[in-house]
Amino acid sequence: MNDIIIGIDLGTTNSEVAIVESGKVTVIADAGKKILPSFVGIDDNGEILVGETACNQYLIYPERTVKSIKRLMGQDAQVAMAGQAYTPQEISAVILKRLKAIAENYAGRTIGKAVITVPAYFSDAQRQATHEAGQIAGLEVVRMINEPTAAALVYGTGPDEAKRMLVYDLGGGTFDVSVVGVQAGVVEVLSSHGDNHLGGDDFDQQIVDYILEHLKQQGIDITGHSKAMARVTRAAEKAKLVLSDEPFAQIEEEYLLEHQGTPIHLTLELARSAYEDMIADYINATLDAAHIALKGAKLTASDIDEIILVGGSTRTPCIRERLFDEFGFEPHGEVDPDLCVAMGAAMQAAMINGQDIGTVLVDVTPYTYGTSALGYLDGMPYPYQFIPIIHKNSVLPVHKSEAFMTHQDGQRQVDVRIYQGEDPDALNNIEIGEFMIEGLLDVPAGNIITLALDLDLNGILHVSAREKASGKEKTITINNAISRFAAEELADAKQRIDGLFGENADGEEGFASESAAAAEARQLIKKAESLFETVSSEDKEDMVGLIETIVAALEVGDDTGLREPVERLNDIIYYLES
Amino acid sequence: MNSPYQILGVTERASDTEIKQAYLQLVKDNPPDRDQQRFRQIQQAYETIKDDDSRLRYALFHWPGIEFDELLGHAFKQEGVTKPMPADDFLKLLSTISIDKTLAKNFIKPS
Repeated sequence: MNDIIIGIDLGTTNSEVAIVESGKVTVIADAGKKILPSFVGIDDNGEILVGETACNQYLIYPERTVKSIKRLMGQDAQVAMAGQAYTPQEISAVILKRLKAIAENYAGRTIGKAVITVPAYFSDAQRQATHEAGQIAGLEVVRMINEPTAAALVYGTGPDEAKRMLVYDLGGGTFDVSVVGVQAGVVEVLSSHGDNHLGGDDFDQQIVDYILEHLKQQGIDITGHSKAMARVTRAAEKAKLVLSDEPFAQIEEEYLLEHQGTPIHLTLELARSAYEDMIADYINATLDAAHIALKGAKLTASDIDEIILVGGSTRTPCIRERLFDEFGFEPHGEVDPDLCVAMGAAMQAAMINGQDIGTVLVDVTPYTYGTSALGYLDGMPYPYQFIPIIHKNSVLPVHKSEAFMTHQDGQRQVDVRIYQGEDPDALNNIEIGEFMIEGLLDVPAGNIITLALDLDLNGILHVSAREKASGKEKTITINNAISRFAAEELADAKQRIDGLFGENADGEEGFASESAAAAEARQLIKKAESLFETVSSEDKEDMVGLIETIVAALEVGDDTGLREPVERLNDIIYYLES
Repeated sequence: MNSPYQILGVTERASDTEIKQAYLQLVKDNPPDRDQQRFRQIQQAYETIKDDDSRLRYALFHWPGIEFDELLGHAFKQEGVTKPMPADDFLKLLSTISIDKTLAKNFIKPS
């Protein structure tokens, strides 16, 4: 039997894990919930919290809780949690470990491989960091695929009609837009564009600023109070969700803090129209990006047959309205925008695992990669002219090489810099690596150096260079890739994160050691969850309650505590199925 | 040596749609995950002849065994101004351009 490969959507605000079983995609629920909030925290006893519990703790102990870590991926940053500093990779690894455990509970065996999705517009450094987070979590990342592409895979599988889709993916922290062609069982990404720091979190921030301004007018400044700020942030997010369905939202927080001895209550109304004004610039930016993607695919709005909405932030009504105005038809959203990406990841995982899912994926890079050389900028000689080598929207995998010449007689070394971006001035692009080629032949200027760039299916770049005359390939180490871990640092990070979960160094929780009663209970949970879609909400509530009790007992290994809830759940299922 | 037409299994008179269909079928049978080398070959063949512009470029500048882009690069690099391209490279470059043959083909082609 093949190893299971799971599909993971590691989101800014929410994460999900999915699996393909006998041709069917399932987003795996944990205690009845398919969505795991991307929150990590440390509780009173120093235990690690992930998901809902960490999210709840955020209000009381913001200093012990981390949210939206994805925004820092690929940066040389650290976050503090309960007085300890962690890298973004480590925090992400905690979330991945939890998802891995959820999948293992479901499958009843250990899982070591995953396909993880990343925003299409994630840079090389952000992709590297995601890959590292997987390793720290003890997962082999067999592939990273772009989020809008994963969603397109879900919508692109099915009846064999040719269509062109625009995937509009607005998540908690990132925005991607892709133009995708579906024809003859091939899902072909034609172009991609986006912004890797634009999302629902920015919308929340606008509301937070509005609340802070309101308080300031009363002479109150809460920016120094982390708890009050956490409550305001949560209230802002809640108001945003309310405004998806209602024209007005009441923002109320009692006893927000004490100000000069008197308690401050927050009461404020926010109208949807006022909120839409606040976020108008962001929405405009996403539509501009959509047009850039269309142009990249050499298409116009009228060539698009379907719009697919992905990401929780697309529930904002004015986004649907604006897209309707631009394209003239309603966007699609049949597949839950929060779950779609994880489902696509699981489908790609199944494909890599050798299962035929009837669809093949062809993806592109949203970035141009190149180097800098002596050249011209605006007609003037300039030492850092950007020389594109792999162009935006090239199909992956792609291999391109370019010849360069030394410009001094007897030049023995060349400094090569690799950039990502579109600007003719290399210095305005993102430098992703730099290396020296040394020991060149002592020859006159004009010694030819061939630089080869390889962009793999994960969107990660590999670079090599060769001196043509000697045929010698120069060994290259990219020495300033910002957030990169050395192998031993990765191992240390893994040990540290394993320690947080209370595991020893070899740390695999064995399923073999589990009792028969526990295994039976897990099977029962699976069965109960498969019935959720068809049962009444009261029955579902009862079942979720029982599942929670069972899970709690499983966690502490209390087999006798299992007996009663298992029996009751069994009764409900029996009653439902008869 | 396989021409892009041979790789995709189409004739030189195939339409855009026929070429695209042949390409998609080949991709379906050779997904990028399975054999990257083979996929890249199919992808390159498709990009070389996918529309009128690329087919004309291919017809004008293609010559077996010569990397035209590389030669073009040498000829038009800034260094080229002070350091003329070696004579035999220049001849190779010239020999790649078979104008009468190509133009003839494009003139008789129904529009």
